[in-house]
Amino acid sequence: MRIIPNEMESLWTLFTAPVVWALHFLICYVSVAVYCAKSSQISFGFDVVRLGVVLVTIMALALIAMSGLLAWRQWGFGTHDPPHDDPTRHDRELFQGFATLLLSGLSFVAVIYVAMPLLFIAECSP
Amino acid sequence: MSGFSQVVRGQAVERPPYPRSPLRYGFIPILMFAHGCAGIQSTLEPTGAEARQIATLFWVMVIGGSVVWLAVIGTLLYAARWKGEPHSAQSAGRLILWGGAIFPAVVLMALLAYALWLMPSLRPQSGEPPSAPLRIEVTGEQFWWRVSYRSKNHEASIASANEIRLPLGQRVEFVLKSSDVIHSFWIPSLGGKMDMIPGRTNRLSLLATKVGIFRGPCAEYCGTSHTLMAFYAMVMDPAAFDIWLEAQSQPSEELASDGKLRFISNGCGSCHTVHGTEATGTLGPDLTHLGSRESLAAGILPNTEEAIRRFIADPDVIKPGSKMPAFRMLPEDDLQAIASYLKGLK
Amino acid sequence: MTQFADRMTRKEAKAQEERLRKVWADPSGWRYWTSVNNYQIGLWYAATAFAFMLFAGVLALMVRVQLAVPDNDFLSADLFNQAFTLHGTVMMFLFAVPIFEAVAIFLLPPMLGARELPFPRLSAFGFWSFLLGGIFVCGSIFFNAAPSSGWFMYPPLATDKEFSGIGADIWLLGLSFIEIASIAAAVELIVGILKCRAPGMRINMMPLFAWYLLVVAGMILFAFPPLIAGDILFELERMFDWPFFNPERGGDPILWQHLFWIFGHPEVYIIFLPAIALMAMIVPTFSQRPVVGYSWIVLAAVGTGFLSFGLWVHHMFTTGLPQISLAFFSAASEAVAIPTGVQIFVFIATMLAGRVIFSVPMLFGAGGLAIFVMGGLTGVMVALAPFDWQAHDTYFVVAHLHYVLIGGMLFPVIAGLYYYYPLINARMLSDRAGKLAFWLMFIGFNVAFFPMHLSGLRGMPRRVFTYPPEVGWDWLNLISTIGAFILASGILVIVVDVLRPKHREPEGESNPWNAGTLEWISEPKENWGVRSIPIIESRYPLWDQPNLMRDINKGRFYLPDAEEGRREGLVTSVLDAQPIQVLRVAGTAYVPIISAFFLGGAFVALTFHWWIATIVSAVGAFAAIVYWLWTGTAELPEKPQKHIGLGVTLPLYVSGPSSTGWWAMFITMIGDGTAFASLIFGYFFYWTIHEDFTAGSKGPGAQWPMIGFGLFAAAWIAMIYARRLNGRGFVLAMRACLMLAALLTICGSLAAVAGPLAYGMDPKSHVYPAIVWVLVLWTAVHAVLGLVMQVYCLARSLVGRLTAQHDVDLQNVVLYWHFLFVTALITFAVIGLFPRML
Repeated sequence: MRIIPNEMESLWTLFTAPVVWALHFLICYVSVAVYCAKSSQISFGFDVVRLGVVLVTIMALALIAMSGLLAWRQWGFGTHDPPHDDPTRHDRELFQGFATLLLSGLSFVAVIYVAMPLLFIAECSP
Repeated sequence: MSGFSQVVRGQAVERPPYPRSPLRYGFIPILMFAHGCAGIQSTLEPTGAEARQIATLFWVMVIGGSVVWLAVIGTLLYAARWKGEPHSAQSAGRLILWGGAIFPAVVLMALLAYALWLMPSLRPQSGEPPSAPLRIEVTGEQFWWRVSYRSKNHEASIASANEIRLPLGQRVEFVLKSSDVIHSFWIPSLGGKMDMIPGRTNRLSLLATKVGIFRGPCAEYCGTSHTLMAFYAMVMDPAAFDIWLEAQSQPSEELASDGKLRFISNGCGSCHTVHGTEATGTLGPDLTHLGSRESLAAGILPNTEEAIRRFIADPDVIKPGSKMPAFRMLPEDDLQAIASYLKGLK
Repeated sequence: MTQFADRMTRKEAKAQEERLRKVWADPSGWRYWTSVNNYQIGLWYAATAFAFMLFAGVLALMVRVQLAVPDNDFLSADLFNQAFTLHGTVMMFLFAVPIFEAVAIFLLPPMLGARELPFPRLSAFGFWSFLLGGIFVCGSIFFNAAPSSGWFMYPPLATDKEFSGIGADIWLLGLSFIEIASIAAAVELIVGILKCRAPGMRINMMPLFAWYLLVVAGMILFAFPPLIAGDILFELERMFDWPFFNPERGGDPILWQHLFWIFGHPEVYIIFLPAIALMAMIVPTFSQRPVVGYSWIVLAAVGTGFLSFGLWVHHMFTTGLPQISLAFFSAASEAVAIPTGVQIFVFIATMLAGRVIFSVPMLFGAGGLAIFVMGGLTGVMVALAPFDWQAHDTYFVVAHLHYVLIGGMLFPVIAGLYYYYPLINARMLSDRAGKLAFWLMFIGFNVAFFPMHLSGLRGMPRRVFTYPPEVGWDWLNLISTIGAFILASGILVIVVDVLRPKHREPEGESNPWNAGTLEWISEPKENWGVRSIPIIESRYPLWDQPNLMRDINKGRFYLPDAEEGRREGLVTSVLDAQPIQVLRVAGTAYVPIISAFFLGGAFVALTFHWWIATIVSAVGAFAAIVYWLWTGTAELPEKPQKHIGLGVTLPLYVSGPSSTGWWAMFITMIGDGTAFASLIFGYFFYWTIHEDFTAGSKGPGAQWPMIGFGLFAAAWIAMIYARRLNGRGFVLAMRACLMLAALLTICGSLAAVAGPLAYGMDPKSHVYPAIVWVLVLWTAVHAVLGLVMQVYCLARSLVGRLTAQHDVDLQNVVLYWHFLFVTALITFAVIGLFPRML
């Protein structure tokens, strides 16, 4: 069963994981900024926002993990070591897979970083 | 030809004793610099709760950073000088993975956790107005500070300018505003800075842990004489502070002088307030207790009669861009008498 | 592949070479300045940027002299403020960004095995705009009219005419003009890198320089537009009193800080990455082996590109935002250090796996790295909000940013200068002078900037024109000043080395460092880039493809000739670089210069509120650009296809997504959309800071915006039908559709402004009507541009330049309309529906 077609022909797949990071970052920032600016008009507490953002974080991590998995597959599950510099389409695909995997790794770590404040800071105070 | 060279620095201020930090010895170049004269405006000699925590964070980072720097540059030199058989691409690749990616990721995560853990405790909010024992409202103006104390012991707020006094060991909440452009309020010895932004009200809570006199500059560029906007912060014994605040809430003692008449007749009162007189202007700094302040003209002149006289005559030379008009056309007698009157307002 | 050339006689080959040389030759005499060739433009661009750097350096020395001793009066307060403002502004906008554009324009075509970038006249236009705007901004200080509010131009200091004079307008308008040129360069570079590589240069074969530049150009596309949006709001406030940053009428100075730093932080990486890209070319050459960790560099470049957009608030840690917000930005600022670390270790690993030849470029590279790593480490420190509360706006930050920019940018650029100089002049720069310059610069730099860490920690704020003697900063400042002059003397050595006459020295060999990448094939005396366009089979073709240089120079590859007397290059596919088209690029012309001068004139006149001159110049610029487009783009080839050698035949005309023009439009509109998104951000920003951000206004209602939206949607559909009908050959129906669409566009624009007009919304009264008007006007102005494009297509169709097969113009205009439709949809939904949802 295939969710995503085998062919990953586009340059854009390279950017999936960092785009997920960017969206996650935006959701964190915007939801907290709006909540803190409008807290007097909002009935629920800050913990609800925190919980919401934690859920978004889990989703983001799952998406990035999936992107990494697909990239790992494109890289031949790690069977072809770099440098991937033969003038063939196959090597170009291996390169894309490996680079995407690396970017997924970085994005994964960066999402965790960005979510860390939620563990430590529990209010809107300046 | 700014004329600032004419500005003479004020009397010697009492310097806080040199703090001993065991971490100081970790980093030799800084150590060399850090010795020598002490600062009344230094983040490295903290005399407040927040400043102390941040200084510790700093020294931890300096030591860690020095180690990392030496390691990276050492590896670089080794790689540049290595004359033997080149290393294999595999082992070089492993260096990228471990040295370039995994090591920084782990170390930075730990450092981030440290800072995040620190943040909420540095500036505990004292809650809504009634609960704070002492609030000081400071408004940035081009190029001076409007200060107003609100204490639970006093009904009305107590106006002052260009100087801040605070009691030892009590959390003080600063309410920070601006009337014109963005300024930034900062007492390096006590803690971090906070901007004063038109249309917004910021809060900053500081806890002083040592008696002494410290200096604070305006930390956000605010125009021509941004440089010439500073103040002195005096940390006092709580008892002495209470006595001082009580005195501030009263008008100054009247002195027999015709300076007061000349002060009023020349219209100074349309911009300045001296409590207990007809002078009730609010455009410029409150002068009720000017004579007792540490410095003049927002931390740039010594508080002497001569300096007062000069500032009245040439504010545009001493502080370019300041809103106070020059009074150099007044007769010398008037200038002298007004200066002497103001110096007498203790 | 040799049969092709072997079939030619010697004479034929000579004639072929002569034709090619003639086509690519520069005009002579004073017409030389009308050249659009990438080597000339790149060289002029770089020389101009260096000249501005020297100017800003002199300003820095003046600043240092003033601060050498306490209570100094070398400069007046006002002149000092002008000097530091201009120093920062010029270094950032007139040196650091343009120098990378210059290097890219110079190096990319030969590096990619292309003859030219796809839009040479656009490069020329960018250069002339840069030159004009730069002179305008720099010249102001000689009239005591330079901006003096800091390079960050915070309102209300910079918006209030009482506090800031014409300097603020000069900053805003002069730099907006240059920013537009930068975006044009970004478009050109992205299209060049994605579509104009030599056949066979798949994306895993691209030189790392190209990877970096691709990322940087993409970043410009998302970073500069927010600043342009901010500039628009700013100038509307200064010129027409629309209160975007005035808190008395609902505005907020913090919005500018957001928009400025959304630009300003990525800007640092826009400056840093191209310099590191030079290192990524230099290090493998002097290690004499391919880079170790090619994919890691791609990770680092792309990762940095993304993460750098999540850092902007770390310039605003002291503005009183909630701590939790600050913390997100602290986190992202720490994370960005990871890809930066990877880049550094890729270089170290490459050196370890090779045999290092230590030369002047390597010296500057390694010295820069040592400085940069220190700047990076202090960056990790100031990225933590608590430490930044102390360090912010002190000399600690001054030290940090100079360690980052001089170590991460200036030193690598000088390394690049020593490395690539033979490509400019066929001779080397002096080794001895280089070493002397390096040590002067390295020592001078550290003497100047290391003490600043300490003066900052001791509480010395930035941007002070003097300081009192007893605070403990005096001898630190004196040391810094001495260091600054040592640093300057090092730079002077380089200037002398570059400028000294070298025509007596013998010419060197063409690849003196034995580098592996393609740019070393180009010869300084030839303008054509490559004699023939090669097939690439390696990341380091000069190392791995034997006889490549000979075969190229004998014209044995593609397009060795210019039979039709036209400048030609190849367009290839994005991933695998399969040839798909012969692209005829534009040659020498006056029109880029004329357009740049008219447009520059419009900006200058606007600064001084010379309305008539502004209108005349703007109309002139418009006419020049339309003439340029009409005569220079989407031309009909005399034959459908052409043989390019090695038995390959390619079309001369393609349209739609495989054409370069379509990509350029797409990329431009991404940038345009980013500016629009910034304005929308402004709208919601005002919503968050006020209880009722409409201030009781009912405008612009829902009715007119919905009507406007309907009309825009109809116009958009008409455009799509026009394209479809044109493709089927129904010319008259297509023209009818275009006319209908034009009519609908006019009505839609009128409906757009009818909403706020009907409710009497006065943009001066409060920020709410002002931001609504800005959104409406943004859409209306884009609609007017859309209308011009419709009329243009109609005219092209009437004269027979737009036909069923030759539909580039219509394809690109419809693409523009997709974006315009989205803009209209968002504008009308936001202004019409959002206030009703509250």
